[in-house]
Amino acid sequence: MGIYIFIFFAYLFGPLIIMSITAFNSAEFPSITPWECFSFRWFNEGKIAYDGQHLAGLLSDWRLHDGIISSLIIGAGVVTLSVPIGMAAAIVLTQVRSQLRDIYYSISIMPVLFPGVIIGISTVVLWDRIAGLGGEGFIADIGRNGIFLTILAQTCFISTYCFLIFVARLQRFDQTQEEAALDLGASQTQVFFKILVPYLSPAIASAAVIAFLFSFENYNTTVFSILSDQTLTTVIASKVRLGISPALSALALTIIALTIIAAVTYEVLRRRAEKRYAESQEKFVKEKAADNRINEKYKAGFRIPKGITAILLIVVFATYGATQIVKNDLYGQSCIDAADKEKKSKFLEQLQTLESNELTDEELSGGSLGGNQDYGDIFGDPSLFQDFGGFD
Amino acid sequence: MSADVELSDVSVTFGSFYAAKNVNVKVNGGEFFSFLGPSGCGKTTLLRAISGFQEPSEGKVLIDNKDMSGIGPNKRPTALIFQNLALFPLMSVSENIAFSLEVRGVSKEERKKRADELLELIALEGQGDKKVHQLSGGQKQRVAIARALAVEPKVLLLDEPLSALDLKLRQRMRTELREIQKRVNITFIYITHDQGEALTMSDRIAVMNEGELEQIGKCDEVYNNPLTPFVATFVGENNPLYGKVTGIEGDKAKIETADGQYLATMNESKKLNIGDESIAFVRPESLFIPRDGDNFDNKIDVNIESFEFEGNLKNFYASLKSGAKIKFSVPNAIDTSSITSGSSIVLGFESSKSVILPKASLAID
Repeated sequence: MGIYIFIFFAYLFGPLIIMSITAFNSAEFPSITPWECFSFRWFNEGKIAYDGQHLAGLLSDWRLHDGIISSLIIGAGVVTLSVPIGMAAAIVLTQVRSQLRDIYYSISIMPVLFPGVIIGISTVVLWDRIAGLGGEGFIADIGRNGIFLTILAQTCFISTYCFLIFVARLQRFDQTQEEAALDLGASQTQVFFKILVPYLSPAIASAAVIAFLFSFENYNTTVFSILSDQTLTTVIASKVRLGISPALSALALTIIALTIIAAVTYEVLRRRAEKRYAESQEKFVKEKAADNRINEKYKAGFRIPKGITAILLIVVFATYGATQIVKNDLYGQSCIDAADKEKKSKFLEQLQTLESNELTDEELSGGSLGGNQDYGDIFGDPSLFQDFGGFD
Repeated sequence: MSADVELSDVSVTFGSFYAAKNVNVKVNGGEFFSFLGPSGCGKTTLLRAISGFQEPSEGKVLIDNKDMSGIGPNKRPTALIFQNLALFPLMSVSENIAFSLEVRGVSKEERKKRADELLELIALEGQGDKKVHQLSGGQKQRVAIARALAVEPKVLLLDEPLSALDLKLRQRMRTELREIQKRVNITFIYITHDQGEALTMSDRIAVMNEGELEQIGKCDEVYNNPLTPFVATFVGENNPLYGKVTGIEGDKAKIETADGQYLATMNESKKLNIGDESIAFVRPESLFIPRDGDNFDNKIDVNIESFEFEGNLKNFYASLKSGAKIKFSVPNAIDTSSITSGSSIVLGFESSKSVILPKASLAID
């Protein structure tokens, strides 16, 4: 059982952990071995290679920044559209008669079943036609605005997820509360804002969070509807196409860290609220209890947290890694300088080897080296690229 | 302030089904009036018609002599107490009570003042800040009443609000409800299937069956002079004796049954003729074991089958010669230890305590 869980979690989180570690390696290519130097450069400025090329780090990559900003804008737009649409659709579901209900429900959840690609393309096609109608002007502008189109396209299916969240919450709603409020003189609007919305507020919060996350991580709809703009996901995708960089590992680690912090904060707040509720309940029971058998406080002993093994494991590995890094002096500017210098010299060395191996016309035409035959074998030579640090 | 409530020819249909049919009733201002009937008899439908959640298909609802058709529940001078109370779980007790004032735009201080007043009325002073889930069943009940009374409705409608409570609490709440009604002096319309509740609290009751009114009257009137076999058997217990009318003497009629002849009183509005199929009813507590010197109008031979001990009463189940079953109750104060299963005895009852009605279906059928 324990082993099974370990393997399962290793499968789930292994890639994320490896990727996170590579963010701290100063090497240009995300890797753990060979380990070059421990550094935060991929979170900061990145690296200016000795040939003058700038390898952007997280802080200095303006394309990434633009992508994040448009992702945030789109996320906010999607939340403001999807949550009300989802809520309204769910409320309508409670009002329709039973025969219509199933049909209405099926139609409402259909957008989830459509491939995102199709939603993206169809949005672009539709708005391109609409933009074409108006000539120059406002319609033409928004019809060809990638961010606007992406908000619309994502809202198409994200509002359905919101709808499902609201439906689940509304199923447990006691409709006599609405009737009671009406009977006490509230107007329909007042019933909505004073009874229904407070009841739905947890669903509103979770729908907003989920809508934002879905929007933020969406790729397959966005890639079409974003047109000439870029979101975070499309930036990452285009970067990966050119070759991955540790800056992406750094970005991944940042996102993971933010997620964990948010989840932990939420959990802490939730537990605190739960504790407060339990305390008030306990107080209430105590007040009502005639005899004080219940009042004897239950004293909990020290309990070992359940995740202790995992935490210990992480601590052990982290300590081991850190001591290795410190012992071998694999950190700081001096290490980086040394590594760069070494690489540069190796590059030069290799360049010289290549130059010295340069064949004369005579040799090319079938000389002592055996001519063309050996050319095919150039990548098979194990010593040639052995210490080559890559083209940076 | 109280108001008359009048239902004039009110019918409510769902498709071809009549939930209420030609109901005519006038509830006087300040009265405690109950609709009594088995579940599904249409009493809740009538209540919803009065409160405005259900427009009558035919007929009119008049409150204070004003036609209420087209006026929504939030515009009627009524307040409804729901079966499940429908308190707002996310609000405190005070907020619940003051909700009707809040939606009318009453200031916060005023709301607080009124909520405190009402908390005092329901004996929950100083508990306004509690959440609804922190209250006990009886307290919730009282909060629901206070919430309904906050805007001083002219009519308070109660939909079986006591059905979820345990017996002791239910009995106490009956008295409390009655007291609150006297204090605030508004019209109470109460819906119940529990005849005990209806009889103890109401000034008048209306007995309903299958959407139609069977009888309206004061409690003792309904109990002692039922108009139909349904009322006779639904309100309290009654033993039916089936037979044919063989003679009429003034307001009494003689009925010939398989087990003998009995004399019973006719209802003024339900006169019988010789030869009519009819049922005489006698209540378990009106059947006596004759002692020396007793001379009852009617005698009846029974064979005891079983008995049960209820506390204040001992109930005997007996059969007649024809096989018909009969139940009678004897106060526990009387020694009945000599009567056991299998004993044959003679019971007596007075014709004035027995009602004879034209044959129709019973509530227990």
